[in-house]
Amino acid sequence: MRPMTLWRYEARRAGWTALLGPPVAVALGVAAALANPRPGDTTTARILLGALEMAVPLATGVACASLVGRDPAVELQLAVPTPYRVTLLRRMTVTLGWAAVVAGLTAAVLIATGWWERWPANHGPFAGQLTWAAPTIGLGAAGFAAGAVFRSPAAGGALVTTLWTIQEFFADLVQQHLPGRLLYLFATTRGAVPGDWTENRLALLGAAAAFVVLAYVVLARSERLIGEEDE
Amino acid sequence: MTGQIARTLGASLRYEFRMQFRKRSVWIVPALTVGLFLLIGGSLLRDLFDPGEQPAEARTAVVALAVQLHALLSIGYGCLLADRLIRDDRLRVTPILDATPAPSGARLVGKYLGAGAATAVPILVVYFGLAAAYAVHAGAPHALGWALAACGVVIVPGLLFVAAFALVVPLTMPAPLFRVIFVGYWLWGNVVGPDMMPTLARTLIHPLGGYPLDALLDFHGIDGDDTWAGPVPGATLNFLRPDPTATTAWLSIAVLLLLAAAALAGGHVVRTRRA
Repeated sequence: MRPMTLWRYEARRAGWTALLGPPVAVALGVAAALANPRPGDTTTARILLGALEMAVPLATGVACASLVGRDPAVELQLAVPTPYRVTLLRRMTVTLGWAAVVAGLTAAVLIATGWWERWPANHGPFAGQLTWAAPTIGLGAAGFAAGAVFRSPAAGGALVTTLWTIQEFFADLVQQHLPGRLLYLFATTRGAVPGDWTENRLALLGAAAAFVVLAYVVLARSERLIGEEDE
Repeated sequence: MTGQIARTLGASLRYEFRMQFRKRSVWIVPALTVGLFLLIGGSLLRDLFDPGEQPAEARTAVVALAVQLHALLSIGYGCLLADRLIRDDRLRVTPILDATPAPSGARLVGKYLGAGAATAVPILVVYFGLAAAYAVHAGAPHALGWALAACGVVIVPGLLFVAAFALVVPLTMPAPLFRVIFVGYWLWGNVVGPDMMPTLARTLIHPLGGYPLDALLDFHGIDGDDTWAGPVPGATLNFLRPDPTATTAWLSIAVLLLLAAAALAGGHVVRTRRA
């Protein structure tokens, strides 16, 4: 199989949520920013950056949590030379890659139009890309691991959304302690200690690596996936 | 005919309840949620048992607990129910079930009530478990009465509302996409301030139960200075925000249940058209 055909196939198998999620998330975030009647550009800029830091990771996290358990005939996947977990990693790469394209283009538009720098806690046009990259990869990997451990998109999706909501509802509480602050997803738009930002972004990427390893190890026993109900 | 409908409803309710009740994730998700909440130092869960910090009144304590658990655990509740209706199509059992004399509308209502009730069991176990522990700890047995009241007018209507949409909306979009949009809605329609953007928060359509909390349970936040329903000066959609009274509180519950029924009816129509 030619590589392009393979990746196109994996993109299709990643599902509609992986494709539609990030653009819908950006669109809803921009709509929220436009609907905000508070005067001053700072709040609007914060919501725009929030769309990248909050909405895109949520959509990507749920899409990644729904990758395990999508194939109607897993037996077939287990019989091919490529290990099924490698196939699943490819689909996660496609999901994250597409989210990166959408978020990167949106960030470029925000930088070009000046909205990026109207949020005082932006971290420049280059390192600032970690605004969306770190939480997207972090929550995506967490979702992928949850999906792999529980072998159920319903459980994986529910855990990703709950994790996200806890960080939204209880922002102050989560950031009271250093571990919570380092793993806080929304450190750019709702972070309490700006000095922690770089450590926070790196910690999220590190946690993501740990989650991917966990998922990879758990999926080694892929025969457990047989007979699991999809969805 | 009526007998057939009642029998179908009862049978599918029992079957759906058992099926969902025995599903691992229905128990794992609320357990991990409460675990995470404790891990970050969930303020109320800790304060409830701290004599120096706990709210002065038993009513405030258990109603605040209801609000926090309802706001948080409803997310998992909606996500877990999102695959229940489309599952019949995915497993290709719908044509077989349609071929039986069991009316499909009654089957849908049975599935709604059965799966919804089973998914709510862990939430209610957590809530009443904590409320009972608090009642014993604080020596306030009437706290359990308030917990029952909060459950009846806030948690149950909210969950019935969520369950109807969680079953039906995934007929029109992939279930994971529904989960994303549902969480966005939950945040927007429940907690976003009406002065920030047009929102359904504080309106009659408020599954977190602003009106019953305010008017029926006389709850105004843990510190007693929050309002949860009613008009906000300058906000859009204020026509949906009458002053909170007992009447508007019951009206709010009725609106939630009516919308749930309308969603189910809509889902039924979509399914019969497709068949």
